[in-house]
Amino acid sequence: MGRIIVANRHGDQVVEWDPAAETEEGRAAIAEAEQIISESRARGCAVSKKVDGKHVIDTGPFDPQAEEYQIIAPIAGG
Amino acid sequence: MDNWHYLFQRAGRFFAWLRSLDSPPELPPGDHWGLERPWLINWQWVPKRSAGPGFGPHDYARARARGAEVARNTFGDDAWENLRRQGYVDVRSRVLPGLTYRLRVGRRIQLLWDTLDDAMRSPWPYDYLCINPVYPLPAVEFTAQLYLYVRDREDEVIRVAAPQPFDQLLGRVF
Repeated sequence: MGRIIVANRHGDQVVEWDPAAETEEGRAAIAEAEQIISESRARGCAVSKKVDGKHVIDTGPFDPQAEEYQIIAPIAGG
Repeated sequence: MDNWHYLFQRAGRFFAWLRSLDSPPELPPGDHWGLERPWLINWQWVPKRSAGPGFGPHDYARARARGAEVARNTFGDDAWENLRRQGYVDVRSRVLPGLTYRLRVGRRIQLLWDTLDDAMRSPWPYDYLCINPVYPLPAVEFTAQLYLYVRDREDEVIRVAAPQPFDQLLGRVF
């Protein structure tokens, strides 16, 4: 299972998908995960991806095979 | 009679407005995870160090506990242990020679310079950087996010940082 951790005021909320899914519902979950990543980036968020057990900020396209993404809040001074 | 009707109507609107002040922010519709997408919400009106209305002590405790789990996952075991034991995590700058960023939960970033010469070349006039998330987050969770920014996107940290002469709690975390 792949997942996106959305860090928000609740601590986190998790979106999960099965990269091997062949059902309509499974494909819709992957599409929605991709949409969350692109929407958050468009609003200034950064996205980190777990690579070899470690989170690194990632600017690449959404990869349904990724183990875990995390949405990182935009930052502001002051 | 018309005057009374008018007065009741105005009072009704006034009380509806008062009730709306205590409602949680409107969430974007249409996703089956019940996901709150904070990047779509305007948080300017939320008081400092608050998650907004509708959040009670139990919600804060739960958010902080979940935030700590996410932070641990984000930091990785070594950095998490350092934070837990020392109360801070140090990250060496890759851009500014002789600089170490000291990250502490819920506080401004402290700048540590190896030598006076290095400090003289600082782009900032003070030794603390105030950087907040644009939406409310548990403090420990934001510390982990700041760790990723400082390590992987130092250019962004340098761009947005607001230098400050003294240490203080951050305003957008709780």
